[in-house]
Amino acid sequence: MKIVLRTLTVAISLALVNSVVAWNETGGEKDEAMHLKPNKEHGKDVYEVCTACHLPEGWGSEDGTFPQLAGQHVTVTLKQLADIRAKNRDNPTMYPFALPSEIGGAQALADVAAYIEALPMNPSNGLGEGTDLALGEKLYKENCVKCHGENGEGNSEKFYPKVQGQHYKYMLRQFEWIKTGKRHNSNPEMVKQIQSFSNQDIKAVVDYASRLKPPKEKLAAPGWKNPDYK
Amino acid sequence: MKPIITSIFLGIALVGQTAIAEENGAGLYKSKTCVACHGAEGKKGLLPTYPKLNGQSKEYLVAQMKDIKSGARSNGQTAAMKGIMHLVSEDDMTSIATWLSSLQ
Repeated sequence: MKIVLRTLTVAISLALVNSVVAWNETGGEKDEAMHLKPNKEHGKDVYEVCTACHLPEGWGSEDGTFPQLAGQHVTVTLKQLADIRAKNRDNPTMYPFALPSEIGGAQALADVAAYIEALPMNPSNGLGEGTDLALGEKLYKENCVKCHGENGEGNSEKFYPKVQGQHYKYMLRQFEWIKTGKRHNSNPEMVKQIQSFSNQDIKAVVDYASRLKPPKEKLAAPGWKNPDYK
Repeated sequence: MKPIITSIFLGIALVGQTAIAEENGAGLYKSKTCVACHGAEGKKGLLPTYPKLNGQSKEYLVAQMKDIKSGARSNGQTAAMKGIMHLVSEDDMTSIATWLSSLQ
């Protein structure tokens, strides 16, 4: 019995250590990239390979297959790229594009993340059904505001993503994957916090979040095309 | 005489359909994001483990796309492709495969 207990304790502490490390490991290229001076002109060249899926505007797809990248915090983009590269975020479609042989080293990461952050955001992202927004608002205010902000603006310093303007269906899938652990580079506090969310809760809160609007000066005019890729 | 004329019309219609499928295929190949991994005209896979597609047989291409979409085929690099296959209908598959098989 003792041995079983000890094994369990070791297993649990290992799992905890892993989850902390997995959430946001320091060091490596991500940190290096964060301290480099970005060159947005070069970032444009690096971003070209991304345009096939995330579009030249960085707006992703309303059906949620590809997220909007435009306007995302540099730190968040760097963290996700580093995690996908390290197979710490399970994303086989994106994986080869995050490889150094495709994107480049720390400077290229810094450049492309800066280019992405400066792109004007999609003025008409995909929304939910809008049928349960009171519940969504309540849940958002109780659970999400602390990290993702009143208006879904996230927190660059803490690597918390902007959720404002993001496509509903993309966020819905990510939320489910965070809950089940498939998206395993998530903040363990969030994973724990959302365990009690029912399917109705999830849809409602994500619907509410999808309707949080970025500030006007961050939004593109409807139908804007990125002149960098003519 | 009548059957001959009908056959000619049918023939033209069929050739026309193939031409349309090829034309649509080129557009779909981009809009459905195939180009991101398989390269322009299917000529260069992003990784050495990704296949070239130009000149591949149409029937084979359609069968692989269907099986990857349904999950019947799940080996190799298919996980990278499965995530986008909900974007591709069976008609799209036929158009894309027709176009790819026509390339050198």
